[in-house]
Amino acid sequence: MPAVRPRLLVGLAALATGPAFAADGVSRSPTAILFFLGFVCSTLLITWWAARRTRTTRDFYAAGGNISGLQNGLAIAGDFMSAASFLGVSGLIFGFGFDGLIYAVGGLAGWPLVLFLLSERLKNLGKYTFADAVSLRLAATPIRSLAACGSLVAVVLYLIGQMVGAGKLIEVLFGLDYTIAVVTVGALMIVYVCFGGMIATTWVQIIKAVLLLSGATLVTFLVLRQFNFSFDQLFRAAIEHHPHGIRVMQPGEMVHDPLSIISLGVALAFGTSGLPHILMRFFTVPDAREARRSVFFAAGFIGYFYTLTFVIGFGAIALVAGREGFLDGAGKLLGGDNMAAIHLARAAGGELLLGFMSAVCFATILAVVSGLTLSGASAISHDLYANVWRKEASEREVVTLSRYATIGLGVLAVSLALLFETQNVAYMVLLAFTVGASVNFPLLFLAMYWRNLTTTGAVTGGIMGLVTAIGCIVLGPTVWVEVLGNAAPVVPYKYPAVFAMLASFSGSIVVSLLDRSPRAAQERADFRHQYIRSQTGVGAEGASGH
Amino acid sequence: MQHLYKLIHANPRFHELERKRSRLSWTLAVIVLANAFWYIGATAFYPEAGFARFWGEPVGEGQALTWGIVIGLIQTVLFIGMVVYYISRANGDLDALKDAVIADALRAAGEQK
Repeated sequence: MPAVRPRLLVGLAALATGPAFAADGVSRSPTAILFFLGFVCSTLLITWWAARRTRTTRDFYAAGGNISGLQNGLAIAGDFMSAASFLGVSGLIFGFGFDGLIYAVGGLAGWPLVLFLLSERLKNLGKYTFADAVSLRLAATPIRSLAACGSLVAVVLYLIGQMVGAGKLIEVLFGLDYTIAVVTVGALMIVYVCFGGMIATTWVQIIKAVLLLSGATLVTFLVLRQFNFSFDQLFRAAIEHHPHGIRVMQPGEMVHDPLSIISLGVALAFGTSGLPHILMRFFTVPDAREARRSVFFAAGFIGYFYTLTFVIGFGAIALVAGREGFLDGAGKLLGGDNMAAIHLARAAGGELLLGFMSAVCFATILAVVSGLTLSGASAISHDLYANVWRKEASEREVVTLSRYATIGLGVLAVSLALLFETQNVAYMVLLAFTVGASVNFPLLFLAMYWRNLTTTGAVTGGIMGLVTAIGCIVLGPTVWVEVLGNAAPVVPYKYPAVFAMLASFSGSIVVSLLDRSPRAAQERADFRHQYIRSQTGVGAEGASGH
Repeated sequence: MQHLYKLIHANPRFHELERKRSRLSWTLAVIVLANAFWYIGATAFYPEAGFARFWGEPVGEGQALTWGIVIGLIQTVLFIGMVVYYISRANGDLDALKDAVIADALRAAGEQK
């Protein structure tokens, strides 16, 4: 008996699941295409403007360090509010009611943790990537290689999930062929990142965040108006229309395996702190103070966004579930549960709102893949090339290489998306979060907080975390049974984050404690200065005035 | 820079800063984690576990709203409130203390020259 229902995966990876959409899809509204063309034109204009301001590596990776706290907060929120979390979480609430909220609470909890424990120290220690902060007192070559590896694995997996989902979504919303859709997303993302670097990527993200928040606010307002702004009436209508009845208001409908759901919670709460495209945004602001303000705005917008998603999910139950015109032949929701929010847009605001929300979802995917690609390119060009392979590389060379890396990653993502078109790739987004929580987060956390961490310990722990995460996923129910077609999983758990994180932390700690080499002694001695810098910002990159 | 770090480390006010900041960060982090895992645990162990059972109860006679949803919304507000509190402390007394520590170190470095 599968302990976890397969649809649970959907929340992290709504778009990666590639559900069997009906051939007649949801809509091919001309308004959607108009809104989308408007978005593409304005973002291309911004890219052209940003390209003229992107000369140095600092411009390319960190937007010159000139982004304000509010702008960065919006961009971080934009990175986090992917189409997967909007459509996926509202789809889960549509399917299970109360339990869909776990993604909202788990995902939101990651933000205060980033603020209290990481953001300030990260900003004071790093330059462009989190690997900068980690490799300050540890040996640069192995540590940067490990961090770049963790970043690239997370980025590529996340990219595949988003791209496959993008292709599927666009196929339904715009009636575009899958291949054309994937190539369009890939080409636009390469243009944004290659020419506009972090400046363009940030602004694309800000515009999209504002569009998504306004669209979701409008849908929520229209839904609540139908219920006279009474939550009681909304919930009553939801209970009446949902097949689970009153149980949509109670926990426990979605999962029946406690260990799995706790592991899922761990991946959600700590994965955020290990996703390279989000960590990278803390270097685009001038100082620790602005880094804090970024988290304030980001957490505020994300909390607001999840509240809207909650109303949208219940609104979809009340207004869409089981209604004529939204169902396929088998009585299921057209396009799958992930389309609940899109259907609700039509139910609440007609074709115009449907077109707008469809375009917003497309824009969302585009913005998120751009951010991912930029952080992947920085791992290759800044961490590996400029700091490991060719330490004498000039700034110009590094920026040029970043552009090639962007094109390379874009081509790779498009090819993999074409290759995996018919596969269920939900596990890839899950794996990206798991790698974030079990490789990048422990490395960053221990390097900043624990004096005794040594290079050997960090590398051993990181590799143990990575191997455990990938091993458990491959041997677990999702890949071993569902993809490879074996009868029973070798590892019975769907969410390995808890094991992978334990492996990573214990490997790092035990090996560091056993490390008696002279280099380890030096690394422990160097902790004090790193610590003072992390607390005060004295000596921080790009800091001035002290 | 090494010299400044030595001066900062010798300053008792720096240790006051690190003590205050770490107490603040860890207290808040533990509250957030406890809340998040209370929620996750309730979803995982409902309805067997006592700490979760009332989550499915309506908030009042004849109400559709349940305690679980109310707690979820309160937690959202609480998390954001804690972010605001942390930032007000960090930008207020902690930053003032940090600036004082740096100023002390710069002054001491100037005197030694």
